[in-house]
Amino acid sequence: MGESKKRKAVTKDVEEDAAIVSGDEFDFGQLDGSLSDDDSASGSDAESLTSGAEDDSDAVSIGSDEVPWEEKVESGLLTSKQDGGSVTVDIGAGENDAPGKDQEAEKSEDETPNYRIVKDANGNDRYEYDEIDPGEDSDYSVPDGEANTIGDIPLSFYDSYPHIGYNINGKKIMRPAKGEALDALLESIEIPKGWTGLSDPSTGKPLQLSQQELELLKKVQMNEVATDGYDPYEPTVEWFTSKTETMPLTSAPEPKRRFVPSKHEAKRVMKIVQAIREGRILPYKPPKEEEAEEDEVPNYDIWADEQPRPDHAMHMPAPKLPPPGFDESYHPPPEYLPDKKEKEEWEKREEEDREKDYLPTDYSSLRKVPGYGRFLKEKFERCLDLYLAPRVRRTKLNIDPESLLPKLPSPDELRPFPTHEAGRFHGHKGRVRSLAIDPSGQYLASGGDDGTVRVWTLMPQREVWSVSVGPENAVNVVRWRPGKDTPILAACAGDDIYLCVPRLGTDAGPEAEAAQAVLDAGWGYAASESNTPKSSLVKWSRPSSTQREQGVAIVIHLGHTAKTLSFHSSGNHFVTICPATTVPASQAIAIHTVSKHQTQLPFRKRLKGGGSPQVAHFHPSKPILFVANQRVIRAYDLSKQSLLKIIQPGARWISSFDVHPTSSSTAGSDNLIVGSYDRRLLWMDLDLSPRPYKTLRFHEKAIRTVRFHPATNRYPLFADGSDDGSIQVFHGQVTSDMMSNAQIVPLKVLRGHKVTGGLGVMDLDWHPQHPWLVSAGGDGTCRLWVS
Amino acid sequence: MAKQKKKGQAGQAKNYITRTQAVRKLQISLPDFRRLCIFKGIYPREPRNIKKASKSATHSTTFYYTKDIQYLLHEPLLQKFREQNALSKKIARSLGRNEVQDAVRLEKYAMPKIKLDHIVRERYPTFVDALRDLDDALSLLFLFANLPSTSAVPAKVIARCQRLCHEFEHYLITTHSLRKSFLSIKGIYYQATIQGQDIMWLVPYKFVQRITQDVDYRIMGTFVEFYCTLLGFVNYRLYTSIGLVYPPKFDVASDERGAELSAFTLEGHRVAGAIEQKEDEQKTLTNGDGQVQNSETLQAQINKIAQEADVEDDTKQDEVPEEQADSGTIDTFVPAAPEGDTLPQPDLSGDEAGTLFSNFTFFISREAPRHPIEFLLRAFGCKRIGWDPVLGDGAFTHDETDPRITHQVVDRPALAQALPAVQGQETPNDQKLQVVKPGYIIPGRVYVQPQWIWDCVNEGKLLRTDLYAPGATLPPHLSPWIRPTSGQYDPRATLEEQEPAGEADEDAGDDEAEGEVSASEGEDEEDESGEEDEAVDAGDMDVAGSEDESAEEEVDGFSGFDDAEDASDVSSDLDDEAQHQKELEAEASGRPVPVAHSKEEARKAKAIKARQTAQSKKEEEIERQKMMMSNKKRKLFEKMQHSNNKRDSEAEKLRAKRRKLEKAGKTKA
Repeated sequence: MGESKKRKAVTKDVEEDAAIVSGDEFDFGQLDGSLSDDDSASGSDAESLTSGAEDDSDAVSIGSDEVPWEEKVESGLLTSKQDGGSVTVDIGAGENDAPGKDQEAEKSEDETPNYRIVKDANGNDRYEYDEIDPGEDSDYSVPDGEANTIGDIPLSFYDSYPHIGYNINGKKIMRPAKGEALDALLESIEIPKGWTGLSDPSTGKPLQLSQQELELLKKVQMNEVATDGYDPYEPTVEWFTSKTETMPLTSAPEPKRRFVPSKHEAKRVMKIVQAIREGRILPYKPPKEEEAEEDEVPNYDIWADEQPRPDHAMHMPAPKLPPPGFDESYHPPPEYLPDKKEKEEWEKREEEDREKDYLPTDYSSLRKVPGYGRFLKEKFERCLDLYLAPRVRRTKLNIDPESLLPKLPSPDELRPFPTHEAGRFHGHKGRVRSLAIDPSGQYLASGGDDGTVRVWTLMPQREVWSVSVGPENAVNVVRWRPGKDTPILAACAGDDIYLCVPRLGTDAGPEAEAAQAVLDAGWGYAASESNTPKSSLVKWSRPSSTQREQGVAIVIHLGHTAKTLSFHSSGNHFVTICPATTVPASQAIAIHTVSKHQTQLPFRKRLKGGGSPQVAHFHPSKPILFVANQRVIRAYDLSKQSLLKIIQPGARWISSFDVHPTSSSTAGSDNLIVGSYDRRLLWMDLDLSPRPYKTLRFHEKAIRTVRFHPATNRYPLFADGSDDGSIQVFHGQVTSDMMSNAQIVPLKVLRGHKVTGGLGVMDLDWHPQHPWLVSAGGDGTCRLWVS
Repeated sequence: MAKQKKKGQAGQAKNYITRTQAVRKLQISLPDFRRLCIFKGIYPREPRNIKKASKSATHSTTFYYTKDIQYLLHEPLLQKFREQNALSKKIARSLGRNEVQDAVRLEKYAMPKIKLDHIVRERYPTFVDALRDLDDALSLLFLFANLPSTSAVPAKVIARCQRLCHEFEHYLITTHSLRKSFLSIKGIYYQATIQGQDIMWLVPYKFVQRITQDVDYRIMGTFVEFYCTLLGFVNYRLYTSIGLVYPPKFDVASDERGAELSAFTLEGHRVAGAIEQKEDEQKTLTNGDGQVQNSETLQAQINKIAQEADVEDDTKQDEVPEEQADSGTIDTFVPAAPEGDTLPQPDLSGDEAGTLFSNFTFFISREAPRHPIEFLLRAFGCKRIGWDPVLGDGAFTHDETDPRITHQVVDRPALAQALPAVQGQETPNDQKLQVVKPGYIIPGRVYVQPQWIWDCVNEGKLLRTDLYAPGATLPPHLSPWIRPTSGQYDPRATLEEQEPAGEADEDAGDDEAEGEVSASEGEDEEDESGEEDEAVDAGDMDVAGSEDESAEEEVDGFSGFDDAEDASDVSSDLDDEAQHQKELEAEASGRPVPVAHSKEEARKAKAIKARQTAQSKKEEEIERQKMMMSNKKRKLFEKMQHSNNKRDSEAEKLRAKRRKLEKAGKTKA
């Protein structure tokens, strides 16, 4: 913008003559000053005009660079016209050049006084004019302050004076020192010849140059050719004249040979022509056919000096084609010939999918063998393989697959275990939900959907006792109280728990009486102890007379349906769980004390993480209670009343679990097996990890129940029953060695239970002394499996 | 902290280069790159991780080893390729200017010749390396030698291939290094052993090859070009190593008359030496015409030998192995028990190979394939081979009635009667050849089918000729390379030797049941029905006895093991019971009791059952063990089992087929 502003000022000042740009250095300050001196409207006019022009040009310049030239010129003209119309402004810059301008300048001088009136010493007016700045190109020279002012007189007039004139201020200008004096001074100092005042950088001594060298230097300085005697401006010598002579230099006539073709040349040409005709000269190099032929036959031994070279690590030689087999023979043994079906299949397949690219065919003699149509194709494919197929070195595992199999104990070592069915217990109508073998190992108790609890003798499968606890209520659990001498049976049906003393013999023996005594002992305690309001929900009551006749001793009214029941090993306590989701959390888990006829509800809140509680078991030897909800098993220390451990088997819905009866004493760590509805059987070693040690998934349907053999020292067995109707028996040895883990070996699948209504095996139990198993099925039978 | 490594600066990213990158690096066209790769034997690699080798690569990207490509950069062939490119431009230009003659001349003479000698040396630093890689070369050259000439395959190339192949065959004949041969449906396989290297190649039958369009002859031609050079040098080395001149003299005229092998004349190095020359004469295979005009003495000698061979044909066959036993050769060790390892033994040596047919004179009939038979006979020591004049030049004799002939190779249905007046007409010097009508035989010689020669060669001894008589049903022709290994079916051994115990019984049981069912359909006699009942009963018992186990096995992977004794005891008890029951029933119905028969069958059934239980027990055990394996190991195990099972099932299928065939044969007999 600054540039454009300047340009505008110039055009204004210099009027039409746009070419004159000497006003570039025009001082704005001065202009302004002059403007401020007179406040005429024209000034403001000009200013407004200027600003208008400014705007205009601004618009143009902003408009863009692509604005056509004419337009620019026009705008320039416009501004200049305006200037021409109203340039009355400039005074200071007026003295530029134009002679016609002076008048105007004078005119403007008249109009605007250019002086100040000052009183002088006499009190008269004195006009003090501003100093006129002539500018750079002014003809008027500015008087030099030190210039001699003596005018046009010879200097010799001042020869006798020490000065040579006066300066503008009237001061004497002293005569400068004369050459003689300097020379005299210099002469007084002796300079050696060739002295330069420089020092030789190589020697350090003062550099002295000879005369010739100095001359040379001079020439170099003058950009002349340094050599001696070279004259750059020699006069030209015209060797060949540029002018054509009109007259010949010689008068001899042209010789004849100039006009006659050369015979010699013709001879030579003819020779060449003849050679070409004869083929002695060829336009191109003749091919050497013999040579080419022989080139193909090697005539030297390329391996004359052969040197074995170690194979490069990355080099992979092409694999050789396998030798042909028997079936490729033209007359193979008849067993190699394809039958009709194989032939059809081969023909039906796509060419790429065929295992062999040929079909074994029998030709009775050699003359009948046709040509092989795919020969060329096969060789071509081999060629492609050789240069196109990526080669990869693969290590082939050359080991016996048998060696991969783990070493398992031989089956003989694992014997005995249940292998086959030895008897069935028919009698229940509908499903048998639960069963248990009594601690003596003689009797089997079972309970089912028909609401009856039955007791059978094991070996001849005969029913000895039964009680109906209500046809509308299915018997969910049947469990014997531990202890051989007191046969007490606990059964859960509906909302009640029945404690029975089954009549096993023909008449009540001493065991029955003892059992009755154990159960009755609590009545007095219950009477003496005032019922706490907490346990008022659970009522221990005497059964009705009909039930009493049948052998029921106590009825515990829980108020909710208990699905599992588990006795403590001492037999004094048992824990029941009501897993239904409608049951209040505080009442789901109940611990009952037989001797006191007392029920405790130890949990106030629902167990965290994983729905309602499912199963609970007492630890066989320690005061620990394991409670499982759908996903997590928690171990509670009963003596300290605290949470001991949380076990996460990783199953989605735990159906049942069992604690290894002896592992805590023998191996020092508890081992659990957990069955789940998502078909998993998990072996947990509590000290090893909170995660399963082994996950066994061999069932097709949900696992309902898992059970360790009670006498694990003699029979390290466990079994699970599943909805697919099968029971799987495993060997599960817990070693006393701390370093080795438990050894689990699958032993046997017992099949027999029919799947009815999606339910196969509902419950199972081990015989306390023998490796026998009993199972309750959804098909209404119980089965005894023996080894 | 160590300096961080940039990606793509080392390792796989640097070791591998894609094909496009390689082509760009070498600045040649893709077809030229292909040729170069074929000549130099450079092949693509598969990086362990494609994504690491190149980010943008997919599974179809071809990778080369970077070093391979780098070596290619200063390959002299590259310059030749460029010259060829320049020339092709010149030709195109002159064609564009309509200067056809120039173009032809340029194409004919100015084409830069590519020499591959240095590549042969580079790829095969030692001669043995070259021999090792000769399989594919021979197969392809023999194929090209049998191709019809087309625009894609010029006749010159074919002729060159033929020459090289014949030269190679001559070497094999001279050194008796051919070992095995096999007539397959694809062609004839040969195997030779040179300097301890086994070389196997396939020669197509002499038919015009079907020329297909889906074959790129340029690629094959490139291979052939290299292989020709290679085989040329190999031949040179082979010939010079046994003191022969390479190239051998080649009689073009004779070749045109179909002499094939006989068109070549092998020469020793020092022709001047008299002793050498004598030796050469033996080695030299000249045209048949020359040999027919042998001296009388030689003929007499040959006659004598031939007669001897005729007379003692049978005895000779016995003698040959004896002679071999006398010499200091290795005895063959045949494992007595199947468990032992079989140690590899060297095959028959050249000396033995050279004497196999040395005493015989062969005549090849018109219909038999001359070239392979001639080659094989010569390679195994036969010197005198005649053939029908139709088959071409170069025979020992073209006269079929020549009395010196001991064996005649025929491939005709059956030869009926003897030629009536052969004996009197015997005139060996007669110019006119005797014409024997097809179907007549000349007494005093053995007629065999071609397969006899192959089987003799593969066995390494002379076989009985009567099995191979014309028109006879030939014994199966077996591949000599398949050695009997455990678990694989071996057609040489009898069925009993290789089948697992009880397989036959099982099969027989099935068959019997089938047979009986069909029989009962046909006829309804008392006895038959009784027997059938029994068979059915036995089947029922089977089911009853093994109900638990067998049912389980099929249903579930996991099944415990069982008391084998228990089961068998139970079943045997049941069997006995059933037997008793049967007897009672029979008595009640008043039929005669089929005691002995049924007992025998019951025993068999019991054996089968016992085997089955043992088998199932074994399987159970493996299943049980498998359950305790980790997933990874189990998969590996199953993979290995899979291949084994495949092999086993294949063998079993073959055995079953053979059993059926044998049974069919028996019933026919």
